[in-house]
Amino acid sequence: MSGKVMVKGTEAIAEAAIRAGCRLYFGYPITPQSELPEYMARRMPEKEVNGVFLQAESEVAAVNMIYGAACTGKRSLTSTSSPGFSLMQESMSYLAGAELPAVFVNVVRGGPGLGDIQPAQCDYFQATKGGGHGDYRLLVYGPESLQEAVELTVKAFDKADKYRNPVLLLADGLLGQMMEPVEFPDFSNLEKLEKHSSWALQGTELERKAHKVTSFNIDPVGLEKMNLNLQKKYAEMEKNEKMYEEYMMDDAEVVIVSYGTIGRIAKSVAKMARNKGIKAGVFRPITLWPFPYAELAKWAKKETKLFFTVEMSAGQMIEDVRLAVEGRCPVKFYGRMGGMVPTPTEIFDKLMELV
Amino acid sequence: MGNRITDHKVHIFVGMFGSGKTEAAINFSIRMRNIFDKVSIADIDIISPYFRTRDKAEFLENKDIKVILPPKIYLNADLPIISPAVGGYISNPEYKIILDVGGNDDGIMVIGSLNNFLQNADAAVYFVINTMRPFTDSEEKISSHIDRLSQKARINVNYLICNTNIVEQTSQGDLTLGEKMVMRVSQNKNIPVAFTMVNEDRKDLQTLNERFEIKRFMKTEW
Repeated sequence: MSGKVMVKGTEAIAEAAIRAGCRLYFGYPITPQSELPEYMARRMPEKEVNGVFLQAESEVAAVNMIYGAACTGKRSLTSTSSPGFSLMQESMSYLAGAELPAVFVNVVRGGPGLGDIQPAQCDYFQATKGGGHGDYRLLVYGPESLQEAVELTVKAFDKADKYRNPVLLLADGLLGQMMEPVEFPDFSNLEKLEKHSSWALQGTELERKAHKVTSFNIDPVGLEKMNLNLQKKYAEMEKNEKMYEEYMMDDAEVVIVSYGTIGRIAKSVAKMARNKGIKAGVFRPITLWPFPYAELAKWAKKETKLFFTVEMSAGQMIEDVRLAVEGRCPVKFYGRMGGMVPTPTEIFDKLMELV
Repeated sequence: MGNRITDHKVHIFVGMFGSGKTEAAINFSIRMRNIFDKVSIADIDIISPYFRTRDKAEFLENKDIKVILPPKIYLNADLPIISPAVGGYISNPEYKIILDVGGNDDGIMVIGSLNNFLQNADAAVYFVINTMRPFTDSEEKISSHIDRLSQKARINVNYLICNTNIVEQTSQGDLTLGEKMVMRVSQNKNIPVAFTMVNEDRKDLQTLNERFEIKRFMKTEW
């Protein structure tokens, strides 16, 4: 008997968050991730969980509820899809500025504007370069499968606590909607989670000075110091948190670079290419920020004929691929937009044209 | 599959979200087309954004199964549209019709809107159960969902379908445990089990109920 269950991507992330010790969910429905709040609405009130689900009146309200909840140092989660995540950007910057731990999920759909409800990867810039104002960074994970989404959700909460920083799970609509067998980790012991008692707003009992959580400093010297501390923290994250997968890369002459669902499709493409005698491999960034520049740059050597970036966008991550390759090898692109998911054959045909 | 089941005029597949209703409905419509000349399937799922019967419309039309969908320009709209043709085909004595209904309370509500047509029709309602899905992993939960959904749709469930699976990783133990759970629900609620769904390439799996071999249509291309 397996310990596995059959779940949708949105359900997998929701249950993983609960297992990670999240008992506070605030959100607003939007396709293709509405099953996530729906799951939380059913699950949070269950005795075994004993958490809070609250449907906010908008994404703006939801993100500010997260701000409030995160001020107490408790694990909190919200989820949305592209237009909803845009609405949250002002507070993302505030959360990063105030160094608050919280986990966000963006199940990306076709844009810009209202767009459509089909899968896309067109929010990469917003996720990795900062959709809000100011010099801030989010730790961004891009899972390729539901099992990986479960593991990264748990990790997201741990890292949010460790760095006191918002963490984003960037999934496309397909990952949110597809069903796969998944095994969940055990429930975390809530007593053993980071308490954040040195800074969080948990009541003074009249025994200590009140803590203050803010991103506000009217003294430029002070604000620069705060920024320098943030940058130091981001440098730590860059040093410690990079994640990526290399697939059939040992002798690869063609490096397909893709993330998320497309990273998975790219593996089928690499196999097809190898059947035709082309030595293709896949480099799949798992953390989109910090991007594994040095690890990818390692493959920009004379044996490598081509870097081939495939995305469900007009070409966003390709800018980071170019930064890593630094002009040492050709970097080509294939992408679909507006909710169109490329098939392995379609990508393979494009690759054959290029080689 | 006994004649009694296929003889019904209308076949309605309901259940919880992600239980395999669309797979059941598509495979059942193909089975029906092998027996009857005029078979139609209506996608009245108003809640699923992806992986729907409409995504396989061309395939089914090629099999000479009439697929009833919302107007083409609204196929990907996040709107609860039920084609007026659904009522027409339920009333049309020439056609057998299969209804693929959306999951959960919100999905099944549309059945209520077809009440006028269904009242006098010879309809069979199937409740599809995957015991390896959250919220339908115990007898009590399944029973309470059957009660609530029947009430919402103003219909009675006539048959249960066991669709216990975690796709290709399903073990014999998983399946037997699931079938036994569904059979206990069947006994308590006095609703017969129509069949157990098994992937056509899983000849190794033994079933306790009648076996309905299916092809999976709602899958990704890689």
